[in-house]
Amino acid sequence: MAKDDNSVRIFQGLLILGNVVIGMCGIALTAECIFFVSDPHGLYPLLEAAENDDIYAAAWIGIFVGFALFSLSVLGIIGVIKSNRTLLMVYIILMLITFAFEMASCITAATHRDFLTPNLFLKQMLERYEKQDTDNNNDKLMSEGVTKTWNNLMLQNHCCGVHGPSDWQQYGSAFRSTHSDADYPWPHQCCVLDARESPVNLDGCKLGVPGYYNSNGCYDAISGPMNRQAWGVAWFGFAILCWTFLVLLGTMFYWSRIE
Amino acid sequence: MEGSLQHQVTWQQGSALPPRPFVARSDSTDLAALRSRLGRLLKPAVKDQSLRPQLADPQLATSNPTLTTVALEKPFCMFDSSLSPNKSYSVYLYAMMESAIAGSSLVTDHSGKPLNSTFQQMSGGQLGPYKAAVFSVPNCASPPNPADAADINKVADVLKQYLFRVGDDGTCLHDPNFLDVCNPPLAPDTTYRFKYTLVDNTDGIMKDQTLWSDPIKTRRGD
Repeated sequence: MAKDDNSVRIFQGLLILGNVVIGMCGIALTAECIFFVSDPHGLYPLLEAAENDDIYAAAWIGIFVGFALFSLSVLGIIGVIKSNRTLLMVYIILMLITFAFEMASCITAATHRDFLTPNLFLKQMLERYEKQDTDNNNDKLMSEGVTKTWNNLMLQNHCCGVHGPSDWQQYGSAFRSTHSDADYPWPHQCCVLDARESPVNLDGCKLGVPGYYNSNGCYDAISGPMNRQAWGVAWFGFAILCWTFLVLLGTMFYWSRIE
Repeated sequence: MEGSLQHQVTWQQGSALPPRPFVARSDSTDLAALRSRLGRLLKPAVKDQSLRPQLADPQLATSNPTLTTVALEKPFCMFDSSLSPNKSYSVYLYAMMESAIAGSSLVTDHSGKPLNSTFQQMSGGQLGPYKAAVFSVPNCASPPNPADAADINKVADVLKQYLFRVGDDGTCLHDPNFLDVCNPPLAPDTTYRFKYTLVDNTDGIMKDQTLWSDPIKTRRGD
């Protein structure tokens, strides 16, 4: 009996340990997803205008899943200590539901990352940046969002266009239809600006003199944060799911052995 | 050597002295010395040594030509053989579309005076050359230093002295009060040719001219 008792105690200990880890990971997941949803780089309007903001949906689900994992882990610890069949049954069912949600969130984040290509952002920038003749209110809001986001991007990251300033020369755009090429070969946000946010030398900027305009593209500044978000949600979620799967298996086995 | 004595010299009736004929610099060492003085500004000595307007150095003006503008290097040391010490001269820049009829590519009238054609009169260069700019003769002895472009205090001067941007002024066509030489934007995806002429300020006669530049095509937007 003592040996049996010992092995039961060890198994209980393992389950409790597993649930503690799940609880902590749940809190970490919630914190990470809150960070992503808060959009520190201000890139959400780009995804909204592309009508492809699923990585944000995945992050929202992650917040609630993380919280659920934490609560369920507490329930699981209590259930294991008390060896209560009802509690453990409730725990298993709710954990399975949470598992399904988290699986959906991870898969969404992982697959939608593939939509975020340079051409998507290029097309959007050309079509919406400084678009004046908008069809309806929704169009107007999206275009304003894109314009504001791009202006911030170019100012903060000292970049221009998706691949470079040549994007504005090579392709037609809404910007080109309202701003003449002679005055604006590219937007003035692409120029090196002084403290008062006016170009240091406008002629130098228009001609493309090195040092007076931003010659690199903004794609890295866009894709970097977005990739980190997508991978962060997806892979951390998958890791939690693997661990949770093991703990669930152990809990079901334990439940089946309680008389 | 291609280019020597190729272009027209106008002979003014009854004048005391014929204008000095333009002689292309066939002496390559002379040209090399001049080019080395301008340092990195000029491209390495081209095989075709006849003088004609060139695009501005691509290391300085990295986006050239654009959809509606072309930045040309000013005519450094191109007219030196025609300058007299005590007279004042100006350089006139003419632009025309390559598709303009070959016969109308003269930039002077019968009396040797340079044409006063405007962008509008020539339909933007379709009918013949129009005058795009008038500026003073660039200083051959002390050309601008390209390294100064990195200095924000000097860059404005360097750009002004070194190059001229054809198509820079988007408003002069529509401004009824505009009296100066109008330099409106060019047409996209179109080939243009340019020519510099040296004009004596006192009698308004053209003293010298370069060849027409190589065809330069503006960028094409989709």
